[in-house]
This record gives sequence, C-alpha cells and structure tokens, in this order.
Amino acid sequence: MKDRDTRRPVTIVTGFLGSGKTTLLARVLSEPLMANTAVLVNEFGEVGLDHHLLRRVDERTVLLGSGCVCCTTREDLVGALMELLDMDQRGEMPTLERVVIETTGLADPAPILHTIYTDPVLQHHFLVDLVLATVDAVNGVLHLDRNPESVKQVAAADKVVVTKTDIAEPGIVRRLLSRLGTINPSALTFEAAFGEVDVHELFRPYGVGTHAALTFLAGKPDEPHDVGDTYSVSVTFDGPIDWTAFGIWFSMLLNARGEDVLRVKGLLDVGEAGPVVLNGVQHIIHPPQHLGKWPDEDHRSRIIFITRGIRPEELLDSLLAFRGLLGARPLPLHAEQTVPFP
Amino acid sequence: MCVLCGQDFVAQVHWTDRHLEHRARAAAPGSDPVAFQGDRRRDRGHRVVLTNEVVRHYGLRVEDWGGSKYVLRDHKGRTELVQDLGSLWPAAAKLAGRTPDPLDPALCEALSAAHDG
Repeated sequence: MKDRDTRRPVTIVTGFLGSGKTTLLARVLSEPLMANTAVLVNEFGEVGLDHHLLRRVDERTVLLGSGCVCCTTREDLVGALMELLDMDQRGEMPTLERVVIETTGLADPAPILHTIYTDPVLQHHFLVDLVLATVDAVNGVLHLDRNPESVKQVAAADKVVVTKTDIAEPGIVRRLLSRLGTINPSALTFEAAFGEVDVHELFRPYGVGTHAALTFLAGKPDEPHDVGDTYSVSVTFDGPIDWTAFGIWFSMLLNARGEDVLRVKGLLDVGEAGPVVLNGVQHIIHPPQHLGKWPDEDHRSRIIFITRGIRPEELLDSLLAFRGLLGARPLPLHAEQTVPFP
Repeated sequence: MCVLCGQDFVAQVHWTDRHLEHRARAAAPGSDPVAFQGDRRRDRGHRVVLTNEVVRHYGLRVEDWGGSKYVLRDHKGRTELVQDLGSLWPAAAKLAGRTPDPLDPALCEALSAAHDG
C-alpha cells in the first residue's frame, strides 16, 4: 500500500535569454487549467504576466562547502515556496495545485532541483515533475553553439518547446530539431508559434499509464551522438542488475565527474516486479521510484546518459568492468527504441 | 545529534537509501519492525561487501558502524565516519589522496581481472 503523493508538482521553465519563456508562460497561464498555479519569476520582463499568484524572487544562491555550482541552495526559492505553503495551509488562497518557476536565461536548473530535494521541509511538500526548456527557432542553433548554459538547459529538460517557429525558415527549424534530438534524445519536443502550444499536452504529467512514450534515438554503438563535447548514449543490460551495485557505481561517478554528467534518465530492471525510475540532472538525483509494474511489455533496463566530455565507450567500458558487481553486462541500445517514461 | 542515542538526525536521505524508506512505507502499518531491521541490515551488509570490492583498489576498507553509519579505514589506521554513499566517496578521496573514479582504466582493469579470476 502506498500513500497518495500529496506533494505539489513544480514545473521549472528554463530557456536562453529571449527564447520566449515569458511569452509561453503568459499563454499557458491564461488557461483555466492553470488557475491554481503559483508562478515564481526572476524578473518582470517586457511581456507583462497577468496572474493573481505571481511572485518575484531575487536569485540568491548560497554556495555550499564543496563549491559545486549545481549543489547550491536558492535561498530565495526556499523563502518563496515556504510562503506559498503557509498561505495554502492557512487557507488564504485557493488550493495550491502547481508551482511554475521561471529561471533567468543564464540559469542552470540544477540548483532549483537541489533546493527542493534537500530542504528539510520543502522536500515533503513539493516535487519537481517537469523541466521545460524553451529554445528560439531563429537563434537556437547559435545559442547552442556558443553557450554551454544553453546545452545544459536542453539536457536537463523533459520537454523542449521550440518557439518563434512562425518567423523562422523551415530549414532552420529542421536543423534545430535534429540538433536538439542529438543533445537530448529523451526529451519530447513541441513547436510553438506565437506562444501557441497545447497546454494540456505540455503540462500532462509524465506518469505511468499516460502513454507518454518517447523514442530513444540512440545511435549505433559505433556512431555515438556527439555535439562538440556533448555525448549521449543509451544502455541496456543483459539481465537484471543489482540496485545496490548500481548505486555504488553511479554515486562514485557523480562524485568524480558529476558536473560532466548533464543528465541521466531511465528505467532499470533490478529483479523486482517493476523497474526503478532513475532521473537526474548533474549531481541531483530525483528520489528513485520503485514501480510496482512495468509500463509496457519490454522489461529490459533502458537508461540514457548525456555527458560533457565523457565518451560513450568510457561509460560502457566502466559498466562492463563493474559487471561482477552489477550482475549483468551492459549493451548499447540500438536506434529507435521506444521507451515509455514515467 | 540526539542526546539519547548519540546519532545524528538525518534530514536528507541519500538517493541510494531511498528504497529502504520506500519499502518501510509500503509495508506499514502492521508490518513487523524486526523483519524490516533484518532486511535493512542485510542490505547494508551487501553494500559493504560490494563497496569493498571497489575501495580496496584505493587501499581502503569499509565497515558497517552499528547499523547507522559506515566507517572507512586506510592501512595507516586513519578513519572517516560517513552516513551514506554520497559522503563515502569524498571521504575515500581524502584518505586515498585521489578521487576514486569508475572511469579510471586501472580500476576497470583490476575489477575485470577480479571478476574473471
């Protein structure tokens, strides 16, 4: 028996400067579905947002001892989320159903995840269910080429919204989509002209049973996806793996190379009735969920790693070396594997 | 720190320990706490065995410390007390003088040899 999860979902909207985050939010917030959504923004931009639960937060980060940028706590967010929680629990506002946090254009979404998952109070009341990234169709390729922050934002995203497709040439949009698929093959991509996007589809929870299937466009083993020094590789195993051993391997990797592991996402067969859902952005791992059953017929482990500077063969060789502990051998996943992802 | 049992309160459960919490929640209420403790001890014991396979390449050894923490030792007898795998690796790096890296070809070779041998 599992208690119903009463934590309020938090959606992080990230995207490079001028990529249309606020336009998208303005459109999304006009939907009746979003009436009980609180919005935290860093700055009031040129596009006016009209929403009764709008709050402005000044980005205040507290760097922890380790000095790692993704493991910083956003004090401003702690304060703002606590205030919303207080108001909700005192009945001073309609039931708080969702929080949307808009980041600044240069922000890395990892500290927001870190803040929510490590705060002693917030971790019990909020849960990050979705990271959205907006990418401008006209300048997207340029941003991805020149700004490592932009690549990080796409890697961290569950869903990518390509904005301004109305003013971009179709050829450019195609190039951008292929580029996005190469950086983060596990993200769903939406196109939005004038901020028009299917809000229900965009905010639909990524839960089991929602038929949210996504395609892992894994390269052939000899053709890893690489974009400059960003690589992605999808891996399966030839049998169930030992969850404890995987925890040892992965926590060790995150300690040694955490900033280079931009994203990890997947389902792991640990020999139980259902898989373990693993989802992480840099050092920050969402609490792994142990599902009661598999979402589809395929009961193999499927996991994607998006890295910076770590070659796919290095990861595969390392997992192979750990086969004795893991209890199974890693195998690269071939192209076009459909992976339902909770 | 709890003044009665001398243990730290753990505000943050490391992601590698979540499955225990998950199992406890799934079983409660009415479950046998002794069975849960046994399960937890076995899990920790298994983790210690597997972790030792790795840390011995760095001249270290890990032991369960009273079922609440882990103690990491080097050959000189220096020790570090750690809560979970999240704090184990930085402590191992401190004792070993280098960061244990699963991508390190020397470690991979040693683990493969141990498996094949």
